[in-house]
Amino acid sequence: MGLYLLKRLGASLLTAVIATFLVFVLVRMVPGDVVAQMMGQAGGTEAEAALRAFFGLDRPIYLQYLGWLGDALTGDLGQSWTRGMPVAGMVGDAFLVTLQLGLMTLAIATLIGVPLGIVAGIYEGRPIDTAIQGFNVLGLSAPVFWVGLMVLVAVSSAFSWSPPLRFVPPTRSLADNLAILALPVVSLALLQVAAYSQFVRQNVVTALHQPYVRTAVAKGMPTRIVFFKHILRNVTIPIVTFMGLILIQILGGVVIIESLFALPGLGRLLLTAIETRDYPVVQGALLVVVLVAMVVNLIVDIAYHVIDPRMRVS
Amino acid sequence: MANDTLTAGRAAWTQRLGRTLRHDPALAFGLALIGVLVAVSVAPGLFAGQSPFEIDSAAALQPPSAAHWFGTDDVGRDIYARVIHGARITLSICAGSLAVSALLGGMLGLVSGYFGGLIDQVLGRLIDVMLSFPPIILGIIITGILGPETVNLVLALSIVYMPVFFRIARAGAMSEASLPYVEAARSVGLTDGAILRRHVTRNVVPLLLTQYMILFPLILQIQAALGFLGLGVQPPTPDWGAILEQGKDYILFAPWMSVFPGLAVLITALALMLVGRSLQHRINRR
Repeated sequence: MGLYLLKRLGASLLTAVIATFLVFVLVRMVPGDVVAQMMGQAGGTEAEAALRAFFGLDRPIYLQYLGWLGDALTGDLGQSWTRGMPVAGMVGDAFLVTLQLGLMTLAIATLIGVPLGIVAGIYEGRPIDTAIQGFNVLGLSAPVFWVGLMVLVAVSSAFSWSPPLRFVPPTRSLADNLAILALPVVSLALLQVAAYSQFVRQNVVTALHQPYVRTAVAKGMPTRIVFFKHILRNVTIPIVTFMGLILIQILGGVVIIESLFALPGLGRLLLTAIETRDYPVVQGALLVVVLVAMVVNLIVDIAYHVIDPRMRVS
Repeated sequence: MANDTLTAGRAAWTQRLGRTLRHDPALAFGLALIGVLVAVSVAPGLFAGQSPFEIDSAAALQPPSAAHWFGTDDVGRDIYARVIHGARITLSICAGSLAVSALLGGMLGLVSGYFGGLIDQVLGRLIDVMLSFPPIILGIIITGILGPETVNLVLALSIVYMPVFFRIARAGAMSEASLPYVEAARSVGLTDGAILRRHVTRNVVPLLLTQYMILFPLILQIQAALGFLGLGVQPPTPDWGAILEQGKDYILFAPWMSVFPGLAVLITALALMLVGRSLQHRINRR
């Protein structure tokens, strides 16, 4: 297993390097870089060339990348071109906000979605299953940001309250922090609860139709033991895989929700950086996104090995 | 005589369709909704009498009424007309982009899976790179960096789900390539290219079509999200995402600007999802 994981890690790192390189090239390919934006109409002068040299934009692109990669390995992601702050710090702060949002959403989605899916699967074809499936289809069809808008409208018209616009970290005031995050988490969770419950239902239904379950029931095994030992155990593996997928999906959804609720997370940082052509911040933020996706997939792989002994052999 | 068999064949076909729809009300409902959406996209003028562009500042930000079913926006345009006329733009962008990704991803996947070797390794690595970004973030990178133009939007939407089609086509081609009929075809002298074109592709296409239906609601949501972020179709063109972007600033004073285009996305996604699920169910059973 050690060797396998090492190989996987190597492949993932290679993917990350290629991904960051492509982003690096892409942002530099398009006309209208940060210097052009700063200079405005006064382009084509010595000052412009000097600025380009200052940002290192005059060097060949692969040298620029290697320089960035070398620094990144030591934890130095450079300085923001528009705000002059170290990118690592900006990205780190933003990531914590996104991480909190993501983990809270994942927790709620799992706590509600999994039981919902199990109930639907056990009562396959009954009214309660139809109701849950109806909810799932609606939840999966509604655009995340639109759900956010609707939740905002509903809450503000019902309670004449809307979340404060200034973000407060949980370390300063947990109550204020939760007040700010409540609506974003609810909006994000709706889709994920639906996705989770649909997926779990499918797996429970499949497990219920397996011959070994029929045998276990036929030989008189108590329903509870059949459920926990035979069904739940086999459903756990796909649930863990799916958790990784959901987390990556949440990471995507977070970007839009953050810009809607004015949360200073990774997504909003990325959007502003793209708008202002602040390449170091774009690269830093995307590096974190790629690394998170990589780590999540790796954790899923390890969890796989722990839960399913069959995987350890191959 | 020939005419009789033809009508008999047709009758059997409609009967079969009728039976399928009766047994699968979700599919029937989804197809009916899609029928309405197609009609609205083809002839929006039949459904909305007002112009989606006509500005009437005296009637700005009016709530839904008999004159303006979905209310009006900040410059007094009729939201109902904008949503109806938006269907064609939003849906054709999504359908077209997804078709490009199915075609390109499918072709690359077929070649990659059938021949294997170096091509497979290189393409596989590139696909892994694309998959290392969540789809919406990939869309934001492409449209954000290249600029919010419809061409770039289509490009982004075409790339976002290409890896999914690639993987399905690749897996399909790999399992087909190991089947005895491929070896038989080869032994009677058919070239690999001919086998791939005539036989393998034909068996993989249904999988790709099903996936197309399954991904359609997802690409629709990404399209709307990019529009909402200001990275999609630009106003004043009536596009559901673009209308939502405009409504964002008025969300607490004029929520109808956001409610209806969002509902349009939701209902469309719902219809597509019902049909996609039913298709997948059928394929799995086979």
